[in-house]
Amino acid sequence: MRGLVAILRREFASRIDSASALVVTLVFAVVAQGLFFLLGHPVGTLQLPSFWEGSTASLQVVFAWLPLLFVGFVPALTMAAWADERAAGTEELLLAWPVSGAKAVCAKFLGVWLFLGLALLITVVPLALVVASLGDLDWNVVGCGLFGAFLLGGACAAIGLFLSALFREQLAAYLASVLVLGLLWIGGLLVPSLPPEWAEFVYYASPYAHFFDSAARGILDARDLVYHGTLMIAGLTANTLLVEGRRWK
Amino acid sequence: MIHASGLYKRYGDLVALDGVSFEIARGSVVGLLGPNGAGKSTTMKILTGTLVPDGGHATIDGRQVLPGDAESRRAVGYLPESTPLYRSMRVDGYLDFVAGMLGLGRAERKREVARVIGACRIGIHAGRAIGALSKGYRQRVGLAQALLGDPKVLILDEPTSGLDPAEVVHMRELVKELGREKTVLLSTHVLSEIEATASRVIIVAGGQLVADGHPLQLARKKSARLVLLMRLGVDDMGVTHEEIGRELYDAAGVKEILDVSDLGGGVKRCAMRVERSVGSDSLHGEPVAELVAARVVKRGWHVSELSWDGLDFEAAFLELVAAHRAAALPNQEAKP
Repeated sequence: MRGLVAILRREFASRIDSASALVVTLVFAVVAQGLFFLLGHPVGTLQLPSFWEGSTASLQVVFAWLPLLFVGFVPALTMAAWADERAAGTEELLLAWPVSGAKAVCAKFLGVWLFLGLALLITVVPLALVVASLGDLDWNVVGCGLFGAFLLGGACAAIGLFLSALFREQLAAYLASVLVLGLLWIGGLLVPSLPPEWAEFVYYASPYAHFFDSAARGILDARDLVYHGTLMIAGLTANTLLVEGRRWK
Repeated sequence: MIHASGLYKRYGDLVALDGVSFEIARGSVVGLLGPNGAGKSTTMKILTGTLVPDGGHATIDGRQVLPGDAESRRAVGYLPESTPLYRSMRVDGYLDFVAGMLGLGRAERKREVARVIGACRIGIHAGRAIGALSKGYRQRVGLAQALLGDPKVLILDEPTSGLDPAEVVHMRELVKELGREKTVLLSTHVLSEIEATASRVIIVAGGQLVADGHPLQLARKKSARLVLLMRLGVDDMGVTHEEIGRELYDAAGVKEILDVSDLGGGVKRCAMRVERSVGSDSLHGEPVAELVAARVVKRGWHVSELSWDGLDFEAAFLELVAAHRAAALPNQEAKP
């Protein structure tokens, strides 16, 4: 357990100490807030005006953008996690220490997930305070949206970490993660133009069904927990198999 | 303490280890030597649990090294080749992190970190980022992390690679000191380092164990050059070089007189090829030299100086590796 905590602390602290991670987080927060106040959400089936245009005491616009923002943001947090270990050779020591591959994978995941949670709070809480000062904000919906976004971020992080373990170069890991997460997001956008037999499957496989149309609107569904939990477990299991498999290479 | 039995490992078509077996007792420094691609690092990775062998097994302190067994890995401190470290971390923070990986509690971590910082003499750099340190100090940090938790076994893969001469000397001293209490398996390309630190050497080539023994014992098996400086008696000033050669050639162990030259004032220099192992189990082969000296004295000449010429262990190593290659070649060619 102490080994897991040691890696978790290192992963979290390495992002707090990293200027590039802080800049990326700042960009994520500023872009999300800019979209919320100035642009609204003019994409896909759910078209929403900006906060100043719509004058609605709701954070739905920012939650609507989160899946796409995660496509760029989460890979930036995960790309170095394993790729850097391989490039620097520290993965060999990590495997030599008395901590199992599964624990190392979980610890890295929790470190990234916690940092992501912090970034979400930094992004959403100031918006919520501004909106609440101007109107009657439903804090339950905000809490639900934050929780859903946290789960979605966890699923994205598990996928990003697995892809990071496939590469030695951070850039390759980043691009692969952007591609995979982007496909998930685009899949939801394409649902209306797909044949009905495909549309249902793609819809339920995308974050649209499990965040956009649920937690982002203040609805918490057990199926969403299963969806995000499945993605996390699949990502972490694949990651563990990949890392442990290197002992047999 | 370390037991390797029939280790076999292949990477695709390449056989990296082919039935390597050895045993290392507690409290000794053993050098693992071999040319590039001989299987040294693969052996070390198997012993540390970072690689699983395709055949055979390894045990550390009586426990089989298995991927899921934390105990066997806790018994080993490992410094991999090229000393991989988290360069953005501070030295003390990194060592605290590694101590945490070993499962140590807060107070124990603090104590252990202070101990290894003292042992490796990196106190003045404890608060600096690892990336900002010189190669020598980074190497010391790597060794410090290997010492955390006071492991019984230390496995060091080329610990002096890339260090300047002063740092090499310090690292050697450190390794020798550690070898008094721990079992140290050390891999290096520098043969003099093995001679300076190890009491035993295991030579691998082409994935197979080629030799195992004391460095000088291995060298002793091969012929060596002995150089004699002697002063002739007043009555022997007319003795020819051929006569001197014949006289010395009769001494036991002398295989060939290589050169006899005149240094003036009746002083002659004789270089000869001798068999170091003749008539002795001694590691240094002095009895052979003694036999030559006795022959000189018996003839009424005076021995001014008698010395072994060149690094015999190096020659022995090259001969062993070359012999293995020559033996392996026909086998490889015979394969379809």
